[in-house]
Amino acid sequence: MESTPLDTQTTVESDVATRPEEASLPPLEWMQRNLFGGGQGSVGAVARSTSLTVVFTLLGLFAYQQLLNFIFSEETNWNSVRVNLRLLFTQAYPESDYHRIWVSLGLVLVLSGVGLGLMKVGRGISMKKIATWCVGWGVLVVLGVFLRQPSVLVGDDGTPLLADADGVALARDGLGALVYLDGSPAPSQGLSVVRESYGDAISSRSGWLLIGLVLIGIAAAIWFGFGDKRRRSTFLPAIPLSIAGIGALISTTWWYNWGNYTFSTDEETGVSGFNFEPSVKVAETTRNPWTIMFVVLVVAYVLGRRLRGRAFEQHFRGLLILGWFLAPFVTFFAILRGPEFDWAYVAAVDLPLWLAFGIGGAALMWALTKPGIGEVGRVLAVLVLAIAAFTWIAAFFGWFGMLQKVRLSFLLLGLTALLAPNFIGEARQRLTLVYVWTGTITIFHVMATIINTPSSIEVPTEDFAGGFMVSIYVTVFTLLFSFPLGVLLALARTSRLPIFRLLATVYIEAFRGVPLITMLFFFTVFVNLFLPEGMELALLAAVTIAFVLFSAAYLAENVRGGLQAVRRGQYEASDALGLTTVQRTGFIVLPQGLRVSIPPLVGQAIATYKETSLLAIVGVFDFLRMARDIIPNQPEFLGERKPALLFICVIYFVGAYAMSKYSQRLEKNLGVGER
Amino acid sequence: MSINDATVAVTEELATRDDMIICEGVDKWYGDFQALKGVSATIKEREVVVVLGPSGSGKSTWIRCINRLEQHQSGRIIVDGVELTNDTRNIEKIRSEVGMVFQQFNLFPHLTVRDNITLAPIWVRKKPRGEAEALATQLLERVGIPEQADKFPGQLSGGQQQRVAIARALAMEPRVMLFDEPTSALDPEMIKEVLDVMKDLARGGMTMIVVTHEMGFAREVADRIIFMESGEIVETGTPEHFFTSPEEDRTKLFLSQIL
Amino acid sequence: MKWFAQVVTLVLVVAALWFLAVQAGDNLEAKSIKTGFDFLEINPGINLNGTIDDEPDTGGRALYAGMVNTIRLAVGGIFVATIIGILVGVARLSNNWIVSKTSSAFIEYERNIPLLVHIIIFFAVLSGLENFNAGVGPINGWLHVSNKGLSVPRIYVADGFYQWMVFILIGVIIGSLVRKRRQAQQDATGVMTHPTGAMLGVIAVVGAIGWVLHPVFGWVGGIFDAIADGIDSVPADLVQVLLTVLAVGAAANWIRRFLTSRSTPAGLANLTDDDYFRMIFAGVGAVFAGAFIWILWPGGSSWIVNSGSDLFNVLGEKFGDGRDGGPLGLGRPDFEQRGNFPNPGPGGLNFSQGFAAVFFGIVLYTAAFIAEIVRAGILAVPKGQTEAAKAIGLRRSTMLRRVILPQAFRVSLPPLGNQYLNLTKNTSLAIAVGASDLVQVGQTVYNQTGKSLEVFAIWMGFYLACSLTISVVVNFFNVRLAIVER
Repeated sequence: MESTPLDTQTTVESDVATRPEEASLPPLEWMQRNLFGGGQGSVGAVARSTSLTVVFTLLGLFAYQQLLNFIFSEETNWNSVRVNLRLLFTQAYPESDYHRIWVSLGLVLVLSGVGLGLMKVGRGISMKKIATWCVGWGVLVVLGVFLRQPSVLVGDDGTPLLADADGVALARDGLGALVYLDGSPAPSQGLSVVRESYGDAISSRSGWLLIGLVLIGIAAAIWFGFGDKRRRSTFLPAIPLSIAGIGALISTTWWYNWGNYTFSTDEETGVSGFNFEPSVKVAETTRNPWTIMFVVLVVAYVLGRRLRGRAFEQHFRGLLILGWFLAPFVTFFAILRGPEFDWAYVAAVDLPLWLAFGIGGAALMWALTKPGIGEVGRVLAVLVLAIAAFTWIAAFFGWFGMLQKVRLSFLLLGLTALLAPNFIGEARQRLTLVYVWTGTITIFHVMATIINTPSSIEVPTEDFAGGFMVSIYVTVFTLLFSFPLGVLLALARTSRLPIFRLLATVYIEAFRGVPLITMLFFFTVFVNLFLPEGMELALLAAVTIAFVLFSAAYLAENVRGGLQAVRRGQYEASDALGLTTVQRTGFIVLPQGLRVSIPPLVGQAIATYKETSLLAIVGVFDFLRMARDIIPNQPEFLGERKPALLFICVIYFVGAYAMSKYSQRLEKNLGVGER
Repeated sequence: MSINDATVAVTEELATRDDMIICEGVDKWYGDFQALKGVSATIKEREVVVVLGPSGSGKSTWIRCINRLEQHQSGRIIVDGVELTNDTRNIEKIRSEVGMVFQQFNLFPHLTVRDNITLAPIWVRKKPRGEAEALATQLLERVGIPEQADKFPGQLSGGQQQRVAIARALAMEPRVMLFDEPTSALDPEMIKEVLDVMKDLARGGMTMIVVTHEMGFAREVADRIIFMESGEIVETGTPEHFFTSPEEDRTKLFLSQIL
Repeated sequence: MKWFAQVVTLVLVVAALWFLAVQAGDNLEAKSIKTGFDFLEINPGINLNGTIDDEPDTGGRALYAGMVNTIRLAVGGIFVATIIGILVGVARLSNNWIVSKTSSAFIEYERNIPLLVHIIIFFAVLSGLENFNAGVGPINGWLHVSNKGLSVPRIYVADGFYQWMVFILIGVIIGSLVRKRRQAQQDATGVMTHPTGAMLGVIAVVGAIGWVLHPVFGWVGGIFDAIADGIDSVPADLVQVLLTVLAVGAAANWIRRFLTSRSTPAGLANLTDDDYFRMIFAGVGAVFAGAFIWILWPGGSSWIVNSGSDLFNVLGEKFGDGRDGGPLGLGRPDFEQRGNFPNPGPGGLNFSQGFAAVFFGIVLYTAAFIAEIVRAGILAVPKGQTEAAKAIGLRRSTMLRRVILPQAFRVSLPPLGNQYLNLTKNTSLAIAVGASDLVQVGQTVYNQTGKSLEVFAIWMGFYLACSLTISVVVNFFNVRLAIVER
C-alpha cells in the first residue's frame, strides 16, 4: 500500500497535492529496496521479500525458457505461418484484386495520419523511460541467449540428427532408414535428437547477444550521459517515434523474405484448395505497397501537423470524424467488395431516384425553413413521415412492391423535415439544412446502390471477407450500430415511461443473461425459421446482427451507469432553465453521462474485438479458424497448429493491449474517477 | 533557527521538564521540491504547541513526519527517547505512543463507533475485549457522546465523528497527540464541540502538537506557538508574545492577513 | 401523448413478435417439423463425453447431463478462479518489483487474448502430451497427465455419508456452544482461548467417532419416510388452491406495501401514471400466475406433490438402516483396458482433454479479471484509512485484515458477481473443444431431432436461471455488507 502513488484525497497542503515524482534511486539501492525488502529494517521483511523474489524469478525464467524453446525449436514449423500470412489476414481474397486491400488500408492510414497530426500531444516519452525499456529488453535478450536450450543439429536432408539411448549418433542410409554409422540397423526405441554443445550454442547466437548488449549500452549511455534531472525532463515525441518504429518494421520486407501461399483452383483438376508457392515471397509482392503505405502515413501526419492551429481546424476535425464514420462502409462495400455495376440500370433507376430525392428534398427543406411558415411546416413534415410509415405497412402486407431504398429515403426525408423548424431564419441558416439533406441523401443513395450491386470478387467461400479482415469489420460494424442502439436502450431503461422501461429491461436482461454463442447459433441456425418465404440472411449479416444486438445490451448497461452518475442537481438545474425533456437529455444528461462511460465503452470495444473469435465456431472463416482448422489440414503442415495459434495470440494481444492502454490514457485525460 | 533560540522563548518552568519530541534539522523533499528545510524544535512533556502558517508551509508535512506517515530524508526525529529510523520496531513503538487526529476524521466506515475505538487496544495492546470496551465507553463519555457507541460513523455528524476520532486516538493511551487541522472540515457550529474536547485534553496535561487556523484556540490553550513558512520555522514564542509583538516580517504579514 | 407513444411502441413490438411467430409456425409446417418437448422422453441415440451418463436413454437425460457438467464447470471454476484471482490481485500490489511485474504480465496475457484462443491453446498443448499408458506420470496412481486428459484422486460420498452428517451436525452444535463459552472467557480475562480452534477440534472429534458409529442413526430414515407418506396424502387440488392464494396474496401484499410507502401523514400522495402502471403490472402478474397454475399446467400441483414425496422417500432411503459402508471413500486414478488401448478408469476424477482445456482456460482467464477487481477494490480504499490505521499503531497484517480488506471486499462485490456470471456463460465455449456442456449437448440433440427452437428455449431458461441465482446471492451479500450511511 505504501508504494501506491494514489489520490490525494486526504492530503491537505497544496505542496503535497501536486507532488512531483520522487528522484530516481541508484540501481543498487533500487534493487535492494524493491527486490530484497530493504528500507524496512526488519530481518523478517528482508527474508520474505528475498524468498519471494527468488521464487518468482525462477517462475518467470522457466516460463520464458519454455517460450523460447518453442519459438526457436527446429521442430516448430514457422513456415506454416509465414507462408499463410495472406490466408490468415484476408482468407481467399484473390491476388489480382489485392490492390483493393491496399487502397482500403491507405484510406485508413490517411485518416489515422491526419488524426495523429491533429492530436494534442502530451510531453512524450522521457529519456528515463527509454533507458528503462532498453535495459529491460536488453536483459531479456541476453537472458534468452543463455536460457534457451542448445539447438538441434540438422542433417543435410533437413531432418534432425538422431542418437540412440547411449548417445551414439545415427544416420540415414540410402533408403532413409535409420542406421549406425557402421551400417548396422538402429533400434527404434529410446531415440533422441542430437543437440549442439552449450558453447557452440552461445557462439552461434552471438548476433542476439550483440543486440542485447547494444540495448543495454544505449541504456547505460542515457543513464550516465544525462543527469537524473535531465533524464526525467528530456522527452522524445511519442508519435513520430512510433511512426519511425512502423517504418523500421516495414523496412524488413526489403531484407527478409516472408513466404507466400494462395487459395486457388487447380486448373487441371478443378479442385479448389490452398496452393503452396514456395518460390514467390510475400516480401517481394508487398514491399512496394508497404513502402507506399508508409509514405502515405507520413505525408498524412505532416499534413495534420500543418493543419493544427489553423482557423478552419474545427471544420477539418468534423470532416475527419465523418471520414472515420464512413470509412468502414466505403472500404468494405465500395472497395473491398468490388461491386460490378450494371451501368444501364444505374442510369435508368438509381440516378433518377437520387436526383428526384435530392432536388425534391432540397426544395422541401428550403420551403419548410421559410420564416413565418408556422404550423404548416410541422404538418407537412408529419405528412411525409406518414407516407414513409405507409410504405412500410404496405410492405408488411405485401400490397405493392417498391424498392427498399425508396422507403428508407422517405423515412430519412420525414426525419430531416422534422428538424426544419430549428433552421428557420436567414438564407445562410436555411442553406445549411439543404446541404445537410443533399449530403445525407447522396451518401445514402451511393451506399445503397453499391450494397445492392453484386460483388465481382471471386472467392470459393460464401463471403469475400475472411481471416483477420472479417474480425476487424465485424468489430467495427458492431460498435457502429450497437452504440446508438445501446444509448437508446439506456435512455429507455432510465426513463420515467414505464412501458419503455419494461421493454428495455426485458431486452437487456434477456441478452445479458445468455451466452453469446447461443445468440450466434440462434442467428445462424434458427433465424431462417422466422423469416418470410424466399428471404434469407447471409451468414456474415446474421452474425453481425447477433453481435450488434448482444453488444447493445452490454453497452446500454455501461451508458446507464454513466447516466446515473449525472447528479440530481443537473436535472434540477435544466428543469429550472425550462428545457424540455428532449433538450435536457440531449444537451445536459447525455454529454455528461457519455463522458463518464467512455472508459467502459472502450472496454466493451475490446470485449467485442475478442469475442469475434467466436465466429470460428459458427462457420465464418475468421482468423482463429484459419489457425485452428485450415492450416493444420494443409498437406504441407499437417497438424501444425501451435505456431499459428501463437501468432494470432500476438495479433489479438497487440490490438487489445493498445486499446486498453488508450482507454487508460483517456481515463486520465478525462479525469474520470476523480471527485 | 536553532534549538537554543527556540528554548529561550519558553518559560523556565518548562525547561525543567523532560524532552518529549526532539527534531534536529529535519529535511523532506518531494522530488525537486523541498517541503521541510532543516526544521529543528523540541517539545517538552505536557506542553501544548500550536503550529501556525499559511497553507503549503509544511506544517502538516512536519507533524506527519513525526509519526512516520511521511518519511524525512535527513535530520533526526526522537520521540520519547526513541529515534525514528527505518527499523519497523521503532516505528511501531513510536506510533503506539503518538496519537493522531486527521482533518478528514478517517474513521473506519465499516465498523461501529465502539469497534473503531477498541480495534487498536485489542489488536495492538492485546487487551481483553471487555476491558477495551469499558475503556471505549469511558472515552466516549469523556468526549461527550456515550450514546452513539453502536452507530456507524456514516450516521454521525462531522463534529461527532471528529470526537470519535479523538477517542480512538486516546484509546491507545498515547503520551503525545498530533492534531492535523482537526476543525477545518467541520461546519462552524460543530467546531466548538471539538475544540472543547481538545481544551479538556490540554488541561489534563497531554503533550499536544496542533496544526490549526483557530487563533482563539491558539491564544487560549497554547504554551507555545510555532510559525512556519515555506518549510522553515520562522518564529517561536508564547501566545502573548506572538500575537502582540511578533519579531519577523513574515509573521507580521501573516497576522495582518488573518486577524 | 407520452402514453400514446408508449402504447404504439408496445403494439409494434408485440405485432413484430407475433409476425415472427406466425412465420416460424408456417415455416415449420412447410418443413413438416412438429414442435413440442416430446423429444425429452425419446432416446436421441447420442453419445456424450465425460458426463454423468455418457449414453443417455432420453433427450431430457442428455440435456440434464449437459447441465450437470455446466454447473460443475461453473461452480468449480468460480471457486478456483476466486482463489487464484485474489492471490494474483494482492501480488500485483506487492512492494516487491518482480512479484508485482510477474502478476501484471500474467494479467495482461490473460486479459488481452480471447478466451476461446486460450482454450484452444490449452487443448493443443494437452493433445501434444505423451500417450496414455500404464506408467503415465507425473505421480503414478495419484496424478495422471497425458493426451487423454488429466486424472486426480477423488473423494466420493459413500453409503454411510448421510448418517455421518447427523454426527457432524451434532458436532457443529456442541462446537459452537464451546466456541461461545471460550469467546466469553477470552473477552472477560484476556487470556487467549482459541475459540474457533476449539470448535473445529470438537467437530473433528465428534466426526471421528461418527466415522465408526454412524449406523446408530439408522432410525432417522423412518422420520423421512413418515413425512413422505404425509405429503402423499395431500390432495392435489388443495395445492392448486394454495398456490393461487399465494400468488394473489403476494400481489395484493405488494400493492398494499406500495400504497403504504406512497402514503404520507396527510393521506395518500398523488399517484403518478408510473405508480398506477406498477400496480397494474403486479395485478397482471398475479393473473398470469393463476392462469399458469389452472390452465397452462394443471398437472403442476400433483407434480409438486409427487416430487415432494419422492424427495423424502429418497432421503428416507439414504438415512435408512443397513448402510454401514463408511461415510467417504477415496478413489485413485487407475486404468481400464478398452479394446487395445488403456484408458483412464473409473477410480479417479478424470478430466477429458476438452474439459480440462475449458476448465483451466476459463479459470485463469476469469482469475485475471478477478485480480484486477481485487486490486481496484484495495486501491479504492481511501488513503486516509491506511494512515489512520498506521497512526493508531496497527501492524501491516492487522491493518489489511481489519481495515483494508473488509472495505475492499465491499467495493469488489458487485463486479465480482458480474465476473461469476461471465464465467458461467463462458462455460458454453466448451463446444469449441467438444466437451459436453449444455450448449454442446443441446447442439447434438437438435442436430439429431431437429427440435432447435425447443433446445434454444431450454438454453435460455437454464442460463437465465443461473444468472438470476448468482445475482440473488450477490445482492444478498451486497445489501448485508453495505456501509451504513445516514
